[in-house]
Amino acid sequence: MVDVNKLREKAREVISREDVRELIGYRPGTYGFRARPAFVMGPDDTGELIFTPACVNNLASYIVLEEKLPVKRGEEPDLRKVAVMVKGCDSRALVQQMEEKAYDRDRILVLGIPCRGVVDMAKVQAKYPDVLEMGEIALEGDKFVLSFNGTKEEVPREELVADKCLRCRYPTPLVYDELLDEEVERFADDDFADVAELEKRAADDKWAYWEEKFSRCIRCYSCRNVCPMCYCEDCVLDRLQPQWMRRSVDISENTAYHISRAYHLAGRCIQCGECQRVCPVDIPLMELNRKFYKDVEDLYDYEPGTNVENPPLLSTFKVEDKEDFIM
Amino acid sequence: MAENKDFEPNIVAFLCNWCSYAGADLAGTSRITYPSNVRVIRVMCSGRVNPLFVMNALQQGADGVLISGCHPGDCHYMHGNYYARRRFNLMRNFLEYLGVEPERVRMSWVSASEGAKWKEVIEEVSEGIKKVGPMDQFKRRQLNW
Repeated sequence: MVDVNKLREKAREVISREDVRELIGYRPGTYGFRARPAFVMGPDDTGELIFTPACVNNLASYIVLEEKLPVKRGEEPDLRKVAVMVKGCDSRALVQQMEEKAYDRDRILVLGIPCRGVVDMAKVQAKYPDVLEMGEIALEGDKFVLSFNGTKEEVPREELVADKCLRCRYPTPLVYDELLDEEVERFADDDFADVAELEKRAADDKWAYWEEKFSRCIRCYSCRNVCPMCYCEDCVLDRLQPQWMRRSVDISENTAYHISRAYHLAGRCIQCGECQRVCPVDIPLMELNRKFYKDVEDLYDYEPGTNVENPPLLSTFKVEDKEDFIM
Repeated sequence: MAENKDFEPNIVAFLCNWCSYAGADLAGTSRITYPSNVRVIRVMCSGRVNPLFVMNALQQGADGVLISGCHPGDCHYMHGNYYARRRFNLMRNFLEYLGVEPERVRMSWVSASEGAKWKEVIEEVSEGIKKVGPMDQFKRRQLNW
């Protein structure tokens, strides 16, 4: 576990540096076991920073989503670094963004946190629906220790851990300037059994499954907004000329939305699971993303967000790429 | 999907200007007869075809989409067809995963001299789509309020 005092001390040291503009980390939420993102602008704000298994957010999104206001005449642009706390999965988002040349490596300062899994808040909420005052979660060995209302409860890790953490390939950040804890070795792997199972079904069966899921979509675009890889300034969904998909909420437009969202993440999605976490109607978006992830790995032997030197998948090719589907 | 004898599919074909479009033209000038279900859209290169074109065509009433370009190595723009190959392999697999039959999204290499091959391709595509029936997954529908 990350020592919270060490974390705050390191954060204080980092934010005091002259070349650092702000630090993005986690702080306790307002109720229950939740944690929320913290934007630290000065050394005095570091006292609240934490890292617990409740820190589910992927903070890499904030780096690319920050609004870049035009620089006033006579002023210099603020080129100081943004420091960001990342878990293993979040660090892959940084790698993928840099692979796409979204920004330079020297614009960010990465505080890496080796992570053995975060909780799935929906599972916690289901198990403890009545906890409204502040509670704390810690991971000790194979158990989550939840303290609230003066009581302490131990819950096996498997019961509350997020699904993505059961398949986590990179628990230690792949890119960092400072590591806040000891490295964690790979403890799980991904066999894409869920995708393979769905692939095997008949076409009608698959469509019946997805039709039900897509028809629930209310087109709130949360999945797009939270995604660390969705940072186009001019999104295809917002375009009116040409209008790729209409705003109406019906099965045709919803499907079109989900196809284009998933396809834009082909060879880019780094499996942080944020889209599915924020979905208010519980559409299994990761099953779409994981299909692409699996295909890209099988067909092109490419894993997004693992190496800054890799060229982006769809802007490159190999002459010997598979073409058995072509007539 | 039950086979319907009277069903005539709408096929939207995106043909590259330099090979497949000329190939289809050759089929015409050579007076080769092929199924008339295909509606041709000329693009400058198969690499020009956005995967969203496929999705949009299927939404707007196409029962199948064919993308056709130059053979690998023959692209007028050196390697547009290689990029297209990657894109549509993924798109096809993905649509299949959603429950859109793989017969609906096809890709072929047809060169300017292959009028006869063009005929075979269209016959195969049209047969395949006739087998799976009309596109009814995510076609735009008239809404009855």
